[in-house]
Amino acid sequence: MPDTEQSNLDQKTAALVARGAPAGRRRSLLGYLFMPVALGIVLVLVWLSISSRELDAAEQNRLALDYILRMTWAHILLTLASTALVLLIAIPVGIILTRPFARTMTPPAIAFFNIGQAVPTIGLLAIFAIAWQFGFFPTVVALAAYTSLIVVRNTMVGLRQVDASVIESARGMGMTKISVLSRIELPLAVPVIMAGLRTALTINVGTATLGAFIGADCLGRLIVSGFSGNRPYITIIGGILVAVLALLVDYLAGIAEDFLRPKGL
Amino acid sequence: MTDSAGTIEIRLEDLSKRFPGQKEPAVESLSMEIPKGEIVILVGPSGCGKTTTMKMINRIIEPTSGRIFLDGEDVTKVNPDHLRRRIGYVIQQIGLFPHQTIAENIATVPKMLDWDKKKIADRVEELLEMVGMDPGQYRDRYPKELSGGQRQRVGVARAMSADPDVMLMDEPFGAIDPITRDRLQNEFLRLQEDIKKTIIFVTHDIDEAIKMGDRIAILKERSQIAQFDTPERILVNPADDFVADFIGRGASLKRLSLSRVRDVELHQWPTAQEGASPDEVRRVLDASDKSAVLLLDSQQRPLRWVNADHLGRADGGHELSKLGLPAEAVVQPNATLSDTLNEMITARYSTAIVVDADRAYQGIVDIDTINETVRTMREAERGRLRPEQTADEEDGQ
Amino acid sequence: MPDEISWYESFWTYLQFTWQDLAKLALDHAIVVIISVLLSTIIGVALGVLTYRTERPRELTLAVTGTLLTIPSLALFTLLIQLPLLGLGAGSVILALTMYGLLPIVRNTIVGLREVEPAVVESAQGMGMSRGKRLWSIELPLAWPVVLTGVRVSTLLLIGIAAIGAYINGPGLGDEIFSGLAQIGSATALNQVLSGTLGVIVLAILFDLVYVAIFRFTIPKGIR
Repeated sequence: MPDTEQSNLDQKTAALVARGAPAGRRRSLLGYLFMPVALGIVLVLVWLSISSRELDAAEQNRLALDYILRMTWAHILLTLASTALVLLIAIPVGIILTRPFARTMTPPAIAFFNIGQAVPTIGLLAIFAIAWQFGFFPTVVALAAYTSLIVVRNTMVGLRQVDASVIESARGMGMTKISVLSRIELPLAVPVIMAGLRTALTINVGTATLGAFIGADCLGRLIVSGFSGNRPYITIIGGILVAVLALLVDYLAGIAEDFLRPKGL
Repeated sequence: MTDSAGTIEIRLEDLSKRFPGQKEPAVESLSMEIPKGEIVILVGPSGCGKTTTMKMINRIIEPTSGRIFLDGEDVTKVNPDHLRRRIGYVIQQIGLFPHQTIAENIATVPKMLDWDKKKIADRVEELLEMVGMDPGQYRDRYPKELSGGQRQRVGVARAMSADPDVMLMDEPFGAIDPITRDRLQNEFLRLQEDIKKTIIFVTHDIDEAIKMGDRIAILKERSQIAQFDTPERILVNPADDFVADFIGRGASLKRLSLSRVRDVELHQWPTAQEGASPDEVRRVLDASDKSAVLLLDSQQRPLRWVNADHLGRADGGHELSKLGLPAEAVVQPNATLSDTLNEMITARYSTAIVVDADRAYQGIVDIDTINETVRTMREAERGRLRPEQTADEEDGQ
Repeated sequence: MPDEISWYESFWTYLQFTWQDLAKLALDHAIVVIISVLLSTIIGVALGVLTYRTERPRELTLAVTGTLLTIPSLALFTLLIQLPLLGLGAGSVILALTMYGLLPIVRNTIVGLREVEPAVVESAQGMGMSRGKRLWSIELPLAWPVVLTGVRVSTLLLIGIAAIGAYINGPGLGDEIFSGLAQIGSATALNQVLSGTLGVIVLAILFDLVYVAIFRFTIPKGIR
């Protein structure tokens, strides 16, 4: 198991891993507009390509607008559901694991969650499919299981790095433990937790694609059916659409992170 | 202004620095000559540009205009890396390399200059001893294992490693506690007596400037020179109100810290041997105009002060050697006058007893001594200026 | 009615039969990841070193590598194979993995270099160290722990993503997982999926231990 020394170095790098890409600065207007505009252009190009092309029967089936929209919507549902599940479970677990009674468990737990990043999501999905069933719900749970690891780790790292003297002075003023948690610790840990949530959201929208392998409706369906039916065009369109959706979701999450970050941190 | 000060090591000619986006230049047309082998202090209020000036000498900050001469050579445009290997550089936060041992830190410049391994190892050992650290103990340690004072010493050793003629020091003792700072300053001065380097030293502390400097440049905003002279002259004759304000109150007291007991003429108070009879002592006391007699032992070491009252009690049968008050305020000839004054303030009869290395009585420093000394200093200063004044008067005739 | 054996007994038997093949798959998996991590590190550190001091290029580099990481792996894999020189197989997998591994390494290189104490850099400059020597002897060694952490994060990431590469005929344990998926309903499906998944996890743990060792051996005592 990884080094669990409580050295300064470890804490610093743990915080760094959790924080993800640097966020928070207000970007220029150009910065904000670039991504949606670029994505819009790509969508337009896709639409033009489909309209101008002679589609055979299989392609007509898969690339019909209502089919694509249906898959897109299902994909979004998968993403939202799994992320909501993560939110509900992972943050409380992260909080519990950083309470004083669990202090000694914290470093090994963080190490465990770091390794968890390497779990192949496709394997996780397959296991759920076999043990339970195909379709929407196993996909949601499998996605949530994977990305929970990230959010729990970030919650733990975020809470751990709250200055001990701040907590001590709060207790010294007579705040109850619950109060300290909700009014001091959590607010101070919010940036790191939000970074984790954003990462989880981004990963979920990407991994939801794999739901196609276990019978869930999503944009991955286009990729898979194009691949197995030897219709590279469908695969390409599917791949582009999935990428566009993922980038869009990440973009929106980034904006949310920028604006929801508490001032003064 | 033209003092014979040996050769000039560094010459700054019309040096200016303007940072982009700033209205006023940080340094404006500074010209200065720094004599070889002296410690020149740049001192002034914050923002006056003293650190910027110093950093232009080794071109960490490149001058906007002007020229720099090092030992007669124009170094304004030469390769800066090569230039810096000839100059020692010590900054306030020291900047030791945390991932290298002390020995590796010190060996940095010699390695860049391709010294051979043995020469480097010897030099590291020599330098550590020079700064008062046992090489065997500290050579393989890491910076994080050292205290602030120790790191500062290593920083100085590192700057001297290639034996540069010139050293730049930016508030090197600033980040240390006052006790350690005092000790480091004294050690550094002692070191300089041996190595005699040309040193530019930046500080905001006028007392440090007075203590450390052979010459002080008091700088105003944009690094304009308010006065550039020896500490004694600045203290006795500040050039203008700015300098006087900067020195602060107590210029005379500060001046006293620059003179030593051995430099002044001691006064004599009445003395007597410890075995003397009360009558003999009373005779000595009556013969002088002082109010007490100092009893000395057989080796002339001061024992007690006795005055008329004590003598009166001695007549009544008490032994002389048990009467009177202990002679406490004792100073050696190398003590500064300000330390001596400190002793005197709390001592009997406001006197300090001067003794030699064997603790034998030499003389007394009393408040009159101090008065005379300061008066002599001022007259000497005016006397130095007076020939120039009279020359001007003659010319204007 | 055949005797019901538990899934773990079935799994254990399966392992006993196939562990050699699994080991070979694991080795292939490891090799693909190692190659990609090396490429990612070389490119990533270079990008970090080139951009850590200038704001615009730095933000741009981070944005681009971040965008790459956001592209879902299945999409990137299936898109890359359409390109002329690549096609199915290890080549496309390595290219995709290299692209995915960039962000953590670039970001950590930048942060690590920027966190070096300014006084240390200034004293090195003041002693006459050239820019290149400063970077090589002072800044990079001091930034190394943070950079290494980035490489470690990337490695763990790539180990997981490499499994999906099996879909485009890439090497590695993902093959087991996809085989199992294709035969869902059969007796061996679960075993295959389990062995593939657990194999990847074991591989990840082994890699992580290697990193612990690398940390111990390459970080000087002075900054541990």
